Amino acid sequence: MHKSNEPILPWWAAGLLLGLVMTLAVAVKKPLGVSTQFVVANGAVLKQVAPDYVESHDMLKKPKYNTPGYGWWFDIGLIAAAAVTALLVGKWKPRATCDWAGANGSIRKRMILSFIGGFVLLFGARLAGGCTSGQFASGWAQLSLSVVPFTIGMFVFGMIAARILHPKTPGAGKGASYVE
Amino acid sequence: MLSEMQILALGVGGVFGAALVLAELADPDRIIGTLRLKDFHAMRTIAMFVLTSMVGVLVLSEAGMANLSIKPAVMIPVSIGGALLGLGFGMTGFCPGTGLACAASGRLDALVSVIGMLLGALAFIFVSPKILPQMSEMWNYGETTLPKFFGYAPYIWVGGFVGLGGLVLFFTRPRRG
Repeated sequence: MHKSNEPILPWWAAGLLLGLVMTLAVAVKKPLGVSTQFVVANGAVLKQVAPDYVESHDMLKKPKYNTPGYGWWFDIGLIAAAAVTALLVGKWKPRATCDWAGANGSIRKRMILSFIGGFVLLFGARLAGGCTSGQFASGWAQLSLSVVPFTIGMFVFGMIAARILHPKTPGAGKGASYVE
Repeated sequence: MLSEMQILALGVGGVFGAALVLAELADPDRIIGTLRLKDFHAMRTIAMFVLTSMVGVLVLSEAGMANLSIKPAVMIPVSIGGALLGLGFGMTGFCPGTGLACAASGRLDALVSVIGMLLGALAFIFVSPKILPQMSEMWNYGETTLPKFFGYAPYIWVGGFVGLGGLVLFFTRPRRG
């Protein structure tokens, strides 16, 4: 069993592994990307319940946004493999909060923040045309111009939100032990 | 039966999901720690991820084997979208990929976040026809790259980033771990 405060892999091996996965993705089909499928999930439902609306929508009427394809099955694979891998390395654990949310932080507050944060970040990802995978990682991998304003926006506002909402560094044995 | 496309997608998505868990980016404590500039392990992992990807994609491109997909550099929606994603990222410690991976690892907060994400996508569907065209009029440079926009060959850019990044990673390397 893996000890909770020690990394599973050294940083260079973890980064190398992710970089090789990006390379594999580009070799076989296209760069990594996750967030489009959140639109596809809605698009597929809307196509059933409001076909006229989908037909009148410039983005949604494209099959890419209303029919599950490569990206959809990519995300299914991601979910399934994450569950199996977490089980194998002893990281699968039912829980509702994290160390940074604070020992005294309420579960209710964490849930509300998680919901609002999820809403805001996916809206932002689609506005930007990609998330941490499709814009940030794939953008740097391909040296796209769009990655520069995206990265600045993401880290500046990410640091501000984290500073305001997670001001207290977790105590010993918690997140603080991650610090090298 | 699964088609060849589906098997390929499940496979690539699968190794990505496994790598996110093994690299521990599917962990809100690590992400929040990175944004608070406290978790140098995750920060270095992300840097190594980006640098390795640049080299891998450059090699594939030179070999004529890369399936690229450059996002258009529409500066206003990309900046605002990046900022909104950052806000949610700092609020939760999740991004779309790691949120799915965390929900699959038993995290109830991640599952709630994924539901928020689905509704965020729905809101984007309703709102985007009204805002996206106007936002994309100004400072739209199309599907361009740093090498095309500023000049210099891709290998010079990659060499520069990897050289600089490598030096920083080397001289700030941890004693252990």
